[in-house]
Amino acid sequence: MAEDSNVYYTEGLPVPETPAPGDKPAFWKQTDVVGKRIPRVDAYERVSGTAVYPSDIKLPNMVYGAILRCPHPHAKVKKVDASRAKTMPGVRAVITGVSPKVKGLNWKYRNYTGPLFDSHCRFEGEVVAAVAADTRYQAWDAAHAIEVAYEVLPYVADYKEALSESAPKVHDGGNLAGMDEYERGDISRGFAEADAVLEETYETPCQIHTPMELHGCVANWDGDRLTIWESSQGVYAVQSNVAEVLGIPLSKVRVIGHYMGGGFGSKLKPGKYTVLASLLAKQAARPVKMILTREETYLCVGNRPANTMRLKAGVKSDGTLTAFEFECIGPSGAYPGGGTALVDWLVRDLYKCDNVRCRSKDVYINAGTARPFRAPGHPQGSWALEQMMDALAEKIGMNPVKLRLKNIPAISQGRSEPYTTTGLKACIERGAQQFGWKNALKRAKEQNQSASHIKRGVGMGACVWYVGGGGPPSTVIIKLFRDGSVNLNMGASDIGTGTKTVMALVTAEELGVKPEVIQIEHADTGTTQYATPSGGSKTVPTESPTVRNAAIDVKRQILEMAAEDLDVRTAELDYEGTEIVWRKDKSKRIRVTDVGRLKKRGVVVGVGYRGPNPRTKTVNPFGAQFCEVEVNTKTGEMRVLRFLGAHDSGRVLDRLTYDNQVFGGIVMGIGFGMTEFRQLDGKQTGKLCNRNWHDYKLPTALDVPVDMESLPIEIDDPEANNTGTKGLGEPVTIPTASAIANALYMATGIRFTNAPVSPMGMCRRLAARKEG
Amino acid sequence: MLPQFSYVRPETLKDTVKHLSAGGAAIHAGGTDLLGCLRDGIMDVDKVVSLSALHDLRGVKETADGGLIIGALTTITEVSENPMILKKYPCLAQGASEVASPQLRNQGTLGGNLCQKPRCWYYRGEFNCLRKGGDICYALGGEHQFHAIFGHDRICIITHPSDTAPPLAALAAKVRTMGPDGKRTLPVETFHVLPRKNPQVETVLKPGEVITYIELPRPAGNMRSSYRKVRARRSWDFALAGAAIALEMDGDRVIDGRVVLSGAAPVPWRAQSVENAIRGKTLDDATIKRAAQAVAEGADPLPENTYKLDLFKGVIEEELNAVR
Ligand SMILES: Cc1cc2nc3c(=O)[nH]c(=O)nc-3n(C[C@H](O)[C@H](O)[C@H](O)COP(=O)(O)OP(=O)(O)OC[C@H]3O[C@@H](n4cnc5c(N)ncnc54)[C@H](O)[C@@H]3O)c2cc1C
Ligand code: SF4
Repeated sequence: MAEDSNVYYTEGLPVPETPAPGDKPAFWKQTDVVGKRIPRVDAYERVSGTAVYPSDIKLPNMVYGAILRCPHPHAKVKKVDASRAKTMPGVRAVITGVSPKVKGLNWKYRNYTGPLFDSHCRFEGEVVAAVAADTRYQAWDAAHAIEVAYEVLPYVADYKEALSESAPKVHDGGNLAGMDEYERGDISRGFAEADAVLEETYETPCQIHTPMELHGCVANWDGDRLTIWESSQGVYAVQSNVAEVLGIPLSKVRVIGHYMGGGFGSKLKPGKYTVLASLLAKQAARPVKMILTREETYLCVGNRPANTMRLKAGVKSDGTLTAFEFECIGPSGAYPGGGTALVDWLVRDLYKCDNVRCRSKDVYINAGTARPFRAPGHPQGSWALEQMMDALAEKIGMNPVKLRLKNIPAISQGRSEPYTTTGLKACIERGAQQFGWKNALKRAKEQNQSASHIKRGVGMGACVWYVGGGGPPSTVIIKLFRDGSVNLNMGASDIGTGTKTVMALVTAEELGVKPEVIQIEHADTGTTQYATPSGGSKTVPTESPTVRNAAIDVKRQILEMAAEDLDVRTAELDYEGTEIVWRKDKSKRIRVTDVGRLKKRGVVVGVGYRGPNPRTKTVNPFGAQFCEVEVNTKTGEMRVLRFLGAHDSGRVLDRLTYDNQVFGGIVMGIGFGMTEFRQLDGKQTGKLCNRNWHDYKLPTALDVPVDMESLPIEIDDPEANNTGTKGLGEPVTIPTASAIANALYMATGIRFTNAPVSPMGMCRRLAARKEG
Repeated sequence: MLPQFSYVRPETLKDTVKHLSAGGAAIHAGGTDLLGCLRDGIMDVDKVVSLSALHDLRGVKETADGGLIIGALTTITEVSENPMILKKYPCLAQGASEVASPQLRNQGTLGGNLCQKPRCWYYRGEFNCLRKGGDICYALGGEHQFHAIFGHDRICIITHPSDTAPPLAALAAKVRTMGPDGKRTLPVETFHVLPRKNPQVETVLKPGEVITYIELPRPAGNMRSSYRKVRARRSWDFALAGAAIALEMDGDRVIDGRVVLSGAAPVPWRAQSVENAIRGKTLDDATIKRAAQAVAEGADPLPENTYKLDLFKGVIEEELNAVR
């Protein structure tokens, strides 16, 4: 477990509240714009290419940065000679580990702090030197003209070997990065009570983020003020990191991140490249653009760690789960990165079980450090748990849907507190119904009894997501101008999920204005308010209540102003978007644009703060996914025919962006389950084999079904927050791969305990079965 | 990142050959493979010679004897959509349509497809392997689940990446070239080079030589042909295993024909054991089963790619069933 929840938000933080804690705004019973299918507010910009991403920034006098990286998985830098590089054409600045400017600068990985330039390189891709030059090519050539003498050290690439005596040590203290234990009830009693006990070992691969936009930034100094345009999930996170590393005040670091092309967790924080760009910019006295190459991003900007999980489970013949014993090992990489973070959460929390024990070991290996990746830990844990649930169901002769429904917990067992709402049962029940589970099952069985070598299977998996309730802090400002137009100012990024769009809808709903009159300023530490990075599926449940609060604050002020004009009491006025109306006599009304004080002052400024989460309950999203697959048992080819995602994430703010998340999560889950894996050359060099979009295989449009359905399970959750929203972006990718594995089992009778299930793997298992 | 190079766009074949005859020059047809090779640093090139002004080398024409002649610069998309190819040589159209992705097919050419460099991840990565002039084949002792099971002699275990070469070889096509020593005509079947001959080249082209046209002989009146490809993902990916089959039939009986495999060997791999198993036979279940078994003859699979044996059996079985 051991996930650093600070990445996402701060628990138990006292915060100012608007409106006052007693004045909780009423829950929206009916909505006018929220929940409709509304295209994105920035769709035109994104599609036409006018949206400016950090990769597009071009400043006057801008030069380009390039990084020289250690080509070995484990080595010590003995000598760096940059004399030739410095004289090469176009070169403006060169930084190496011995440059005076980098002395004392440190870099943090969770609880580990080391030098920014560490002469002990613990993974292929560690930074050794950086160059700025007039063109990208000059910078690249000069960086690679730097001569480095390495002492190449033995490496450990296989995390399963990392703790063996003979394994080379990544750190002096050994290769154990951390351990975690959890226990409730008494598992030996639980197993004794079981009618059936099963045990299985499961493995999941290392998955790499590979967002469409490469990692990188543009850094520019104006005197002692640094401005950074970064492809980032959170501008304030970049600001605090960079300010801390460089030892400069937060106020001197402005980070802008209006558009960005995907991060999936790998851009929650800046990289060393951000700091290097800033240092080079200072030295070159010019703006520096530092966009990594695709190959570099495969090495050093994070990954979902591989995991090996052993799960033992006990069940009674009536379907009651009696015990889970779970063990897990996984690699952080070269530095602490959460190698086993949250992998056991589903075992702890998803299904009712009184006796649970989980143990995990996080280890170091000589490879890139893990970073949070869309629902950290969960798809891995799901791969084990959901396959085990199906195996148990088969063992006791129960329908797998029924077994799950039999074990719906009343409370969050992992936390011993109730959920505000749980849609687990509804997701499974209504999802199964909408999917046509029974018929699909029948159809598959019929086909599999025929002579055809094309076999068919259906499968499912369910999920809860560890967080997803959002929380403070967040501050949002809404300005109402005297012409009735509105400016929404928030620090949050729109990481491609549609944040801007849904926040505009919340503003429009509360103020009764049209979404088109709302202009959004966001993701700029110089001009917008503090927000935590977009991760943990927290942006909607954190920011949308804050936006609503700011809108309410605007309303309160404009009503007070109108009360003066109309000469009535404020409490008797209703705000109807463009007009303010006296409840007692509806003919007494005033247009917002005619309100005297607004006309004179020019603007009303409303401030919203994110209030606290419920004190004694947890806010979590749930889901269930169903799929149908086909397997060619002669060639091992598989086809995912259709998918349905039934997700309880509270209120749907925009059905289009909602469905985007469901479909996108399923696509990513198909990659995790069927095509993606990091391949190290473990036996010979420890170097990475697949570092481009061809060798590292993301699913293409032809690998995902056309027939994908999103079924929102909307359950009123007024306790969660004032918009009744929960996170969606991560749960949607949790049960996808495990649902596929279960469907493949039905099609072939083979349990695929190792992900991904590729045609290669399918062929191997089919052949082994023929022989065996 | 790309290295430094100059770029020329000659307007005649003669000038093209002249430019190429100087060392360090490389042909740029569609550039889809060449630019990747340059970025990956697998060849030393300081001059890129574009063929794009040689308009005569583009297009498909019927020959007097009922065959076809395809210009080397004809795009893969054009090959996959050409009505004459679709009608007379369906396996070639199918092979072309299985290449890469729509964007790459629109840009890539048939000549370039035959001359593309292999896709071994060591070769394209930062490994100085045998094919790049180094001492060892990293794939042999390393990660080779995508690599060859035939014809590698444990020297270099690449698979030939082309999806058009196997159908062309199956159809007994020929390559016409022009070089410093004049013109040549070479069968596609012997156009590619096995590692045992030279692990550092892929084709028999001599320095300065350009493919100008690809000739297809007139198909036998009752020829059935087909191409099938299995890959790790359904688009933008090379063959794990594939087969081009071109059979001259008499009713259900195979008079003669060729079976050429992709994803199998360092060159398009003629599966003569399969051909022998079907020649003169009626394509019934028993023959097909026997032929599928025969595909494994002579294979030298490695620990991580043994699965290809069964995969090829499956492909051959499905394909023979499809053409019968
Ligand atoms: C991501 C990716 C996936 C791919 N997937 C597949 C696939 O699944 N199946 C497949 O078959 N191919 C695949 N390819 C290869 C692609 O089909 C080839 O790149 C393309 O056909 C090459 O044509 P081109 O005109 O772009 O060649 P270029 O890149 O211009 O040239 C390729 C090579 O051939 C030489 N050359 C080109 N034309 C001639 C000529 N007329 N005479 C002599 N030498 C010449 C060049 O010097 C160069 O070395 C893939 C490529 C990429 C980048
Ligand atoms: S298979 Fe060939 S190209 Fe690949 S590593 Fe071996 S020698 Fe190099």
